[in-house]
Amino acid sequence: MEAVAGIGLRGPHLAEIARDRPATGFLEIHAENHLGRSPAVQAVERLREHYPLSVHAVGLSLGSADGIDAGHLSRVAAAVRRLQPALVSEHLAWSRFGGRYFNDLLPLPYTEEALAVVAANVDRVQQALGRRLSIENPACYLGFRHSTLSEPEFLAELVRRTGCGLLLDLNNVVVTAHNLRLDPRRWLDLPAEAITQFHLAGHAVNDADGETILIDDHGSRVRGGVWTLFDEAVARFGPRPTLVEWDTDLPPLAVLLDEARTAQQHLSAGAARDRAA
Amino acid sequence: MTALRDLQAAFAAHLAGEDDGGLAGAIAGDSIPAVARLQVHHNHVRTSLASALAATFPTVQALVGEDFFKAMARAFVAASLPAQPVLAEYGEGFPCFVAAWAPARDLPYLADVARLDWALNAAWLAPEEGRLSAVQLAGLPAGRLPLLRLALSPGTTRLASAHPVDRIWAASQPDAPEGEVALDGGVRLVVLRQGDDAAFVQLEAGEAAFLDAVAEGLTLEAAAGRAAREQGDFDLSSGFARLLGLGCFAALQH
Repeated sequence: MEAVAGIGLRGPHLAEIARDRPATGFLEIHAENHLGRSPAVQAVERLREHYPLSVHAVGLSLGSADGIDAGHLSRVAAAVRRLQPALVSEHLAWSRFGGRYFNDLLPLPYTEEALAVVAANVDRVQQALGRRLSIENPACYLGFRHSTLSEPEFLAELVRRTGCGLLLDLNNVVVTAHNLRLDPRRWLDLPAEAITQFHLAGHAVNDADGETILIDDHGSRVRGGVWTLFDEAVARFGPRPTLVEWDTDLPPLAVLLDEARTAQQHLSAGAARDRAA
Repeated sequence: MTALRDLQAAFAAHLAGEDDGGLAGAIAGDSIPAVARLQVHHNHVRTSLASALAATFPTVQALVGEDFFKAMARAFVAASLPAQPVLAEYGEGFPCFVAAWAPARDLPYLADVARLDWALNAAWLAPEEGRLSAVQLAGLPAGRLPLLRLALSPGTTRLASAHPVDRIWAASQPDAPEGEVALDGGVRLVVLRQGDDAAFVQLEAGEAAFLDAVAEGLTLEAAAGRAAREQGDFDLSSGFARLLGLGCFAALQH
């Protein structure tokens, strides 16, 4: 797929997109919202003729010590077969334990044990899908004392063991680096050939006992520091398909499309610099 | 708690409001304490699942307002976390929870409105295909019909209420005209997918009894008997044709 900017397709925008078919590089949808046969899912299937799709799963819980939920995996695999997306991705996180699903991307300790668990789960998902899965770096609010690897080291090793791709979310890097007092540039050490996509989004700035904590809420325009890191990532890895995510306080579609156009300008400027170099 | 399974068990217990066995001790602390960091996840689980319930039960929220709904939804989430990640399929137990939730006891119709929202949600998620048609039925030998057992089509739900939930629903829509809703009188509805929408249709007593009997696995003949007992003037052929035309029945499996 071409290194273009696209938008997340959310329910309230569906009718307008289906009617006007605005110019944008691709549409991203959440797998878990497209497992049934509702009229909305059928409308998205019709849009497949007009836009490349990116299927972003949020509930496979790749980090579960319990393993992957076979029933859910087979439903996601069926949706992927039906939608034939250009890209499929999921997060480096867990969300399920002991038969309960928490609807949150929960953090993993970065240890050899967790690496073995995630690698086995990624293998299982890639086999079920019959294709490469891209793994997204999460937004972190806490780290574990017993972690022995950095997140970029963990991701790089996961790529080596499973052949998965990486979805580099620059907003998540900024959020995690701020919250855990890390240098965001450490994520630029990831293996370039594994990077398949970039994500951009807005985050909230909250107060936690007098200290600021950044929250990955996808509820506003992309912030300045994220654009700066995006430019550095494009310079380091080259242009890749780039998604602007917006999930809470959804703006009019025009605002989202405008944000994606800005992302496209950053990608094009990066590609022009590449050619000049 | 360094083993991944133990850590996830403790984290899950923390999110469910149970004893987390000192989870905070496993978290790297600094000027932002571990408990404040954990609070981000605790909040997200509660708020995001309450929002998912608001999307599935929009009429309930319209009736009670956002703040009341949020309190009720958060109480349900705390008592009943989802078992799977498809949020549109979360909340089956919410109507029963609403029925028993003390702060809502002045709204006796609220649980039935929640049942209607849930049934509309199920109808919306159901496939349109796979319904019994008059053509398929006509292909059967006439003698087989009395002993035939049918199933309801996917996403089709029967709903009986002692309250006029259809009027309450209509008055709660964003574009509904202002005005009082008379709260007397019950309804018998069938809720099902209709084209590109989910809809409910009012049924006569005989039609409702017929559909209930079919759903219980009775033969068409037995269902017709049940309908006639429920409604003396029940017209089987027009009642059955209406239910068939609505798409209430699943296609026959060959």
